[in-house]
Amino acid sequence: MILVVASFTFFLVRMMPGNPIEAKYEQLIMSGYTPDQAMSAVRVMYGFIPKQPLFQQFVTYLWQILHLNLGQSISYEGTPVMKIILGAAPWTIILVLTGTLASFVVGVLAGVIAAIRRNKVSGNLITVSGSLLHGIPQFVMGLFLAYVFTTIWAVFPYGAPYDASLTPGFNWPYIGSLAWHAILPVATYALSSYGGWLLTMKSSVISVLGDDFILAAEVRGIKPSIRMRYIAQNAMLPLFTILALSIGFMFGGSIFIEDIFDYPGLGNMLTNAISYKDYPLMSGAFLLITVAIIAANIATDFLYSIVDPRIRR
Amino acid sequence: MNAELQLIDAQTAVQVRGLNVVYETTQGDIPAVQNVNLDIRKGQITGIIGESGSGKSTLVMAMMNAVAKPGRVASGSIEVSGVGDMMKLSTEQQRRARSTELGLVFQAAQNSLNPLRRIGHQVLDLGRSHGVKDLRALLRKAKDLLERLGLDADRVLTAYQHELSGGMRQRVGIMFALVLDAKVVILDEATTALDMLSQASVLQIVRELHEERGLTTILITHDMGVVGDLADRVVVMYAGCIVEEGVTQEVLTSPKHPYTRGLIRAIPRISGDIDKAVPLSGSPPDMNTYKQPGCLFADRCPLAAPECQQSRPPLLEVETGRHVACFRVNDHA
Repeated sequence: MILVVASFTFFLVRMMPGNPIEAKYEQLIMSGYTPDQAMSAVRVMYGFIPKQPLFQQFVTYLWQILHLNLGQSISYEGTPVMKIILGAAPWTIILVLTGTLASFVVGVLAGVIAAIRRNKVSGNLITVSGSLLHGIPQFVMGLFLAYVFTTIWAVFPYGAPYDASLTPGFNWPYIGSLAWHAILPVATYALSSYGGWLLTMKSSVISVLGDDFILAAEVRGIKPSIRMRYIAQNAMLPLFTILALSIGFMFGGSIFIEDIFDYPGLGNMLTNAISYKDYPLMSGAFLLITVAIIAANIATDFLYSIVDPRIRR
Repeated sequence: MNAELQLIDAQTAVQVRGLNVVYETTQGDIPAVQNVNLDIRKGQITGIIGESGSGKSTLVMAMMNAVAKPGRVASGSIEVSGVGDMMKLSTEQQRRARSTELGLVFQAAQNSLNPLRRIGHQVLDLGRSHGVKDLRALLRKAKDLLERLGLDADRVLTAYQHELSGGMRQRVGIMFALVLDAKVVILDEATTALDMLSQASVLQIVRELHEERGLTTILITHDMGVVGDLADRVVVMYAGCIVEEGVTQEVLTSPKHPYTRGLIRAIPRISGDIDKAVPLSGSPPDMNTYKQPGCLFADRCPLAAPECQQSRPPLLEVETGRHVACFRVNDHA
């Protein structure tokens, strides 16, 4: 799977119009390099020979990936792609994970309440809140939050991921500032995915409530708290699959959200890479997103075997 | 037989008075159990028999006040010996009475367990729910019961539901109903899903446990054979009403209600001509049946008289311990 995606993105990226390497090559010749010198300079700079046939480049590319070498960036001249990605990844991962987990916890709890009170006004209000939020696209949500909380009421800071006057490191003011600056982007992730969790959990709980073993537990006089746990455990199962998938999609959403909040994560990096036609960086970013989604799926499979005994053996 | 009678005598384990259960639908309430008066006698096996939809399961669910929505107990009282009126107790008192006084083995006992927890853990959940102090002793009791039921107790207690066969789950269901020493045990078609051999062995064990523990057992079935084999008394239900009630032997050998008679005649014999089994004529009760004022069985009854169309026959004691709801009970003897 990873191989397929690596190949696909390699060719996709190169089908885009414009060629920065050739441009660089020509620029070098114009500034007095011989063709051979220019060629080797470009090779050193970008890690592959641009004049080689595409297939040759492809094989070299795959070979390098196997050695965890993603080549060098074109827009940040000479910096290894790996280094740029590793620098940007934590920002995105923190945002996505906090956002997803926060919305998962809140959405699942709200879903249980909405399911149990489905015939009451309070339950319906919760459901409607989920449907409404579910219908708002991430980038609209982001723009809205940014507009309301940084422009109308300047409650939260805008831009940079932390206060520039602080020294990065493991100290409280810095961490506090990080958290404070992360609230809006995290809220964007959380609010836009909350509705999905709520609605899924609600329907899942309703179907479990109709199961015989819940009625049996009631007739056996099992305590309401334990019964609630039975319901929640069983209703949560289908949500784990969705959790893994959604983490993958969240990385996709990072392109808009990080752009809106000017956050130095993978999404922002990818936007820049595309505008500078930075092939190695683009391929690297796509590859990383793919690997992340596949890793999340594998992790879910393991998780599943822990929470569902029917899959264990 | 009046609804004001509060004290129940020492011979009675459960006393049902004036019970009406309805199912709420968009077309109005449909009666599922109608004006039922019934005494379940202590220490006996009472069989409740009737066709599908006759209200057997609803009746016992009402005994535990656990009728599932859209069903609702419209009126009536359920006095349980040593507990009180299930209809008047608080939710918490009702909950505490379940499993400790009244044990139910489910119609769908196959699916009566949480698929994500080991059986042993669910026994512990049951213990914690009922404030059992010595959980270790509870597990030992569960183990004894399971072994008594012919299962490998250690394996079953550490197993998940999906690792057990249908017959094993059924026995586990029986264990759950008995492990907290419930005195009244209700088996709601508990053996219907089993093949004949497992059914026979499970029923055999039920009978033994009934005698050993001095239980009061209620056996719901649509199998005349099971009732004839096991039950001391039999209650025949039709369209939510009790039509006949009495000692099994008497009811089966000289049925007094035309419906009971029809049921018994419809049983095919192993020896003799298959045509000797006479099916009941007419069709089972539907929504329109309930609306008419007369006897619910009148449309299918060979003895129906004009009065049967006018009003409903009450359940009357025709002999000691024998109740029949029929106007023409003496017209065919």
